[in-house]
Amino acid sequence: MDEVKVMDEQKRNESLNRPVERETTQYIVTRLGEEQYGIDIKYISNIGRMQKITRVPKVSEYIKGVINLRGEVIPTISLRLKMGLAEDEITKKTRIIILKLEQHESIGVLVDEVREVVTLDEEHIERVSYDKDDKVRFLSGVGKVDNKLISLLDITSVLADVVET
Amino acid sequence: MDTSQYLEIFLDETKEHLQNLNTQIMDLEQSPENMDTINEIFRAAHSLKGMAGTMGYKRMQALTHDMENVFSEVRNGTFKVQPDMIDVLFKCLDALEEYLENIQQTTEEGTNDNEELIRILNDILKNGGTIGGGAAAPAVEKPAQKAPEQEKPADTGEGKTQRWREIKITDTERTLIDKAHSDNLKVYGVTVYVEEACVLKAARAFLVFKALERLGEIIVSEPPAQDIEDEKFDLTFSLIFISGCAKEEVVSAIKSVSEIEEALCEEYETPQAAPQEKSEPAVQTQPAVAQEPAAPAPSAPTTTAPATSAPAAAKPANKPANKPVVNRTVRVDIEKLDNLMNLVSELIIAKNSLVAATANEGSKGDLGAVNEHIEYLESVTTNLHESVMKVRMVPIESVVAKFPRMIRDLSKKLDKKMELYMTGEDTELDRTVVDEIGDPLMHMLRNSADHGLEPNDVRVANGKPEVGSIFLDAYQDGNNVVIEVRDDGGGINIEAVKNKAIERGTITPEQAEGMTDKEIIDLLFLPSFSTAKKVSDVSGRGVGLDVVKSKIESLSGEVEVKNKFGEGSSWIIRLPLTLAIIQALMVVIGDEKFAIALGSIQTIEDVAPEDIKLVQAKEVMHIRGTVIPIIRLNKVLDIPPREDENKNLTVIIVKKGDKQAGLVVDELIGQQEVVIKSMGKYIKVPKIISGATILGNGDIALILDANALI
Repeated sequence: MDEVKVMDEQKRNESLNRPVERETTQYIVTRLGEEQYGIDIKYISNIGRMQKITRVPKVSEYIKGVINLRGEVIPTISLRLKMGLAEDEITKKTRIIILKLEQHESIGVLVDEVREVVTLDEEHIERVSYDKDDKVRFLSGVGKVDNKLISLLDITSVLADVVET
Repeated sequence: MDTSQYLEIFLDETKEHLQNLNTQIMDLEQSPENMDTINEIFRAAHSLKGMAGTMGYKRMQALTHDMENVFSEVRNGTFKVQPDMIDVLFKCLDALEEYLENIQQTTEEGTNDNEELIRILNDILKNGGTIGGGAAAPAVEKPAQKAPEQEKPADTGEGKTQRWREIKITDTERTLIDKAHSDNLKVYGVTVYVEEACVLKAARAFLVFKALERLGEIIVSEPPAQDIEDEKFDLTFSLIFISGCAKEEVVSAIKSVSEIEEALCEEYETPQAAPQEKSEPAVQTQPAVAQEPAAPAPSAPTTTAPATSAPAAAKPANKPANKPVVNRTVRVDIEKLDNLMNLVSELIIAKNSLVAATANEGSKGDLGAVNEHIEYLESVTTNLHESVMKVRMVPIESVVAKFPRMIRDLSKKLDKKMELYMTGEDTELDRTVVDEIGDPLMHMLRNSADHGLEPNDVRVANGKPEVGSIFLDAYQDGNNVVIEVRDDGGGINIEAVKNKAIERGTITPEQAEGMTDKEIIDLLFLPSFSTAKKVSDVSGRGVGLDVVKSKIESLSGEVEVKNKFGEGSSWIIRLPLTLAIIQALMVVIGDEKFAIALGSIQTIEDVAPEDIKLVQAKEVMHIRGTVIPIIRLNKVLDIPPREDENKNLTVIIVKKGDKQAGLVVDELIGQQEVVIKSMGKYIKVPKIISGATILGNGDIALILDANALI
């Protein structure tokens, strides 16, 4: 599904003769509460609907448990709790995004909704200055698309933390 | 020609040929006249030569060529096989194995020419079967040294060189050496060879350093001390050492450390004529002239080469990156693959018929047919699963085949006559288990050979056959594979163990009184416990058995000892057939499902709430004469308790060693075979969870480790 979308985006760019060879990055836009977060598409291996999450006792609160992804046991975390937002409300739109970082095993993150794919070039990304503030630490910048602001997640640092704890 | 794509096949086949040669030469020692064996050896040597030649390994080819020549003559009846020749042949095999090891690590065969062996083989050819130079045994060692100043001590074995000559010294060290000379102290170059089977090389090296520091001062070592500490060295390290002691004293100090195979020590000549000779290591038989222009040696005292760069430059040739260049493979019987293929085709058929049945369903609603096909599908997947597991299974032959040779060498070394009898070499185990089981088995066999069997004269005096017997039996027992190492030696002296433990402060005399024989034998598995009165270099430092135990346990196996004092002991290793599947009891706690490995469960009891008593604020129950602590799993796992407080409790009695505990669960589902899945590294799972498994309906159940609870 989502792969098709990505293809379309590229095709559209080509047909419009947009300069695709510029430094562009594609992001999947997800919603957490009222905010929008972008995740670099190269880390995403799969997006699935909400499924049963098996709780694991005695682990950090934001680790929701493990899911069965085609016979693999994949740990799943709540991005909301990780970002310091309120506990997840499971709705029909809730999705589990499976991320795969190089060198690491897969991990699932819970988001309220997956909206679209956007292509951003450096021009439209505003880098945020590093701050000790917990939330900003996980951002690599803010992207601007059609007057909307998208916080771009630095997945590596979001998960680096998980690996540590 | 690019041969890299054949490397894997080459390695596999060479290993097989070498193993075959080892076995055949063992046979040959028993029956030197057996033409079949001789032919077989000739063929294997010939194939090895061909393969090495094709792959461009010249040194390996040269050595096998000469081996082949010798056998060609034996085959033609020119001369007969003699015991000395067997020793030489084994040395050749060791050399070939060394080449193979190098190839596996680096794809290069290394630079060891093994000219000695080749020369001896040629001598055999020339002298019609006898090894040149009269006395056979010392001739195997290294008489002809081209480099004039390298006078080797007589005990220098094959491939053992005074490697300390490769150490590069810097200005600081040179000053130290000069000062030592002027202080009338002696400067020694020392090269230490650690035994191949040594488990804790770094620890041994440390002991050597310790021993030497008592006698004098170590000024430089190769590899550097830090690397030695981190076990970043092969089987040898060299050092330069200042001391007032005699050479013999130094050597004996080093050799007092066990598992040290060889210590070579020479007085260090200040290399004035040829400064920093030998920039290229391991070219042992080359005259030691600095003739390698490739690595320009920092010449003489004026250079300011930093101490660290010099050993680093000397390293790469003999210390390659530790990563084997090839992947691990399993050779699979074609029959197993055919079977898999068949099952996969059946799976496709089953799927198609299911599709057909559901397509019909719309019109007819034939649910019966669908169920029937699902059943078929089930049986196919079960079989498929079994077959795939079988593909991972390899016979333990690949590990045990090297043992007869080891026992032969041990027999000579310990000067005890002994014979190894093996059965069940074709017993199959998971590849991962087979890879790991070699070391523990080797330890146990060495243990039997060294401690178990009495010296020959004692045996005769006790009315036993002079030749000791060691048995290695492997067989499958249900879901386990059992490997038994047995000897007809003296058995474990319980009293000796007890006294030793008291002496060491492991237990108090009062404790010893109350201990059963079994408990005392278990003491042997504690780290650093050894009953041998004389510490030998075969075994006896107490590193063996605790390593064996932890290794076996890490493979989810267990070790059991049966002992009859005076008649021998047997060590029984029980291993699961495969690590991936276990028999488990499925239980429900709250509304969550968990699996508990069946192996640790003893009984399941139905207990009335009033039977649970409080002792020191802890819940216990009294059952059949024992008091067992109760663990409420819902509390441990943070699950809210169920409402029905007054109902009887379901308690699972689990056992770890002699300790027991009762685990309270809400419901039992039943016994099930579960596939263990890793939970990944992201979550630091608590110890009580040993993994997860996927149930029939796709849900995940966590596997509880009862051992962590007790």
